[in-house]
Amino acid sequence: MAKFVLMLPHAPDRYQNLGEAEFMDLMKDYIGWVEDMTAKGKFEGGEKLMDEGGKIVTNTSGTIEVHDGPFAEVAEILGGYMVINAEDYDEAVEIARSHPHMKHNETIIIRQTDASADE
Amino acid sequence: MTSSDDTHQLLDDIVRRERGWLISSLVSKLGPSKVDLAEDVAQDAIVKALATWPFKGVPDNPRAWLRRVAGNVAIDRIRRSAREFGVDEDWDWGTSETDVITPSLSDPELDLMVLCCDPSIDPQDQLFLALKTVCGLTAAETASLFFMTEDALSQRLSRAKRKLKAQSGDLARFPTRCALSARLPQLLKVIYLMFAWGYLPRRGDDLFRDDICREAVRLSEGLLRKIDGETAGHHALHALLLFQMSRLPARRADDGRLLTLEEQDRNLWDRDMIAAGFEHLQAATASAALTRYHLEAGIASMHAEARSWGETNWPAITRFYELLHAKVPSLAVLVNWAVSLLISDDLDAARDKLDAASKRPGAEALPAYHLARAQLAMRMGDDEAAQAAIAAARACQVSAPVAAYIDRELSLSA
Repeated sequence: MAKFVLMLPHAPDRYQNLGEAEFMDLMKDYIGWVEDMTAKGKFEGGEKLMDEGGKIVTNTSGTIEVHDGPFAEVAEILGGYMVINAEDYDEAVEIARSHPHMKHNETIIIRQTDASADE
Repeated sequence: MTSSDDTHQLLDDIVRRERGWLISSLVSKLGPSKVDLAEDVAQDAIVKALATWPFKGVPDNPRAWLRRVAGNVAIDRIRRSAREFGVDEDWDWGTSETDVITPSLSDPELDLMVLCCDPSIDPQDQLFLALKTVCGLTAAETASLFFMTEDALSQRLSRAKRKLKAQSGDLARFPTRCALSARLPQLLKVIYLMFAWGYLPRRGDDLFRDDICREAVRLSEGLLRKIDGETAGHHALHALLLFQMSRLPARRADDGRLLTLEEQDRNLWDRDMIAAGFEHLQAATASAALTRYHLEAGIASMHAEARSWGETNWPAITRFYELLHAKVPSLAVLVNWAVSLLISDDLDAARDKLDAASKRPGAEALPAYHLARAQLAMRMGDDEAAQAAIAAARACQVSAPVAAYIDRELSLSA
């Protein structure tokens, strides 16, 4: 069984100005899905990222510069990530299809972790 | 039920229960003039918890987890504005853990209810405030319990909170024992309304919310324990809650649909709860005054003791409704009275009551009124009128399972 990281981006203003009931419903969908996947042994874990844009550290010209993120032009910010178990990309994609993020947002980025050096 | 449905229900339960607990605890720490702040802190905490669980799953002890997060949020916020509120930065949040282990009624909830029932606030607004802040009903739920729009409700809530603030000031504390007893009848009303919502919500996916019913029973129990002298009608109210609560498991079929009193398997009724109900009903006879709760508990007791639908003492029930209507001439009572007459085959009297009900404001919005009309029409052999009445019931705001029930009636009568 391989591990895949699901990255869950959303529009910067996606969760602003949501009514309480609406927010509750969204979160219930997500939490319900995670519970289902955990019961099936597919869910490994995840982290929610803080809502502020974070920092970006660059070294373009030999000096290290620190910027506050996100850059103004980004269409989406990364809200968090989850790690799931799947046989292959086909299964990972199937799992992503069922993810409430696909109902409430637009994009999930899937990357397989490289476990080739692990025992 | 899938595990995802379970999760939804669990979250509803936790959020509703914890919101009331958090607000009550905060108000007891910060003082009566800080209901607004307490609501904000509770809301922040709940949102914060709900935003992280999607990435972690629900923690093993969600309640304790939520309270810990809430405690941190509260302390953080209060620390930031400690000077403004003049609150000691190190105030103790420590009671939360013990409350997790013994989930008995915590006093802050009753105290906040008492606070909401401040006589300077319009009596109706007292109910709104208590149901919204202590009982954890959402704004939408509170609004539809009273057939109001959410906007109208929120205006009245802010008015009530302004009054409360003006009245209590920073130094004010909870009322004296004597002032407290004057508020008790209103507290009973809050508990009664809270239970009514849990028993038959007017919106949402649930046929009933047993968490809300249980909570109402617990608040009532706590109040009975706390108050030395009996408030007129409290034992009767408690009996009523227990009788109604005892039938909850029988009200829902395996497929989730509503089962009427006539269809219910009476073996599923909770006999212990019924026995406890009769004890409280007995205690209620010592009450200083005859209240509506006595009469309603009397009606519920008739059902509780009947071994079957056919053996129900309908003449007694009709008589109770008559007395109840003399005391509380409400539309819902009038409609139920009519239904009891229908079942007793007194069609003319039933029609009189329903005609009288039709002239009352709110009849159009009350599904029970239309369903009673339909029943009457069917008994008179007027299928067309019955169909129309059921369709009118369907147009009212009801929960999804009740809508499904009405749809079934509609198709059966077609």
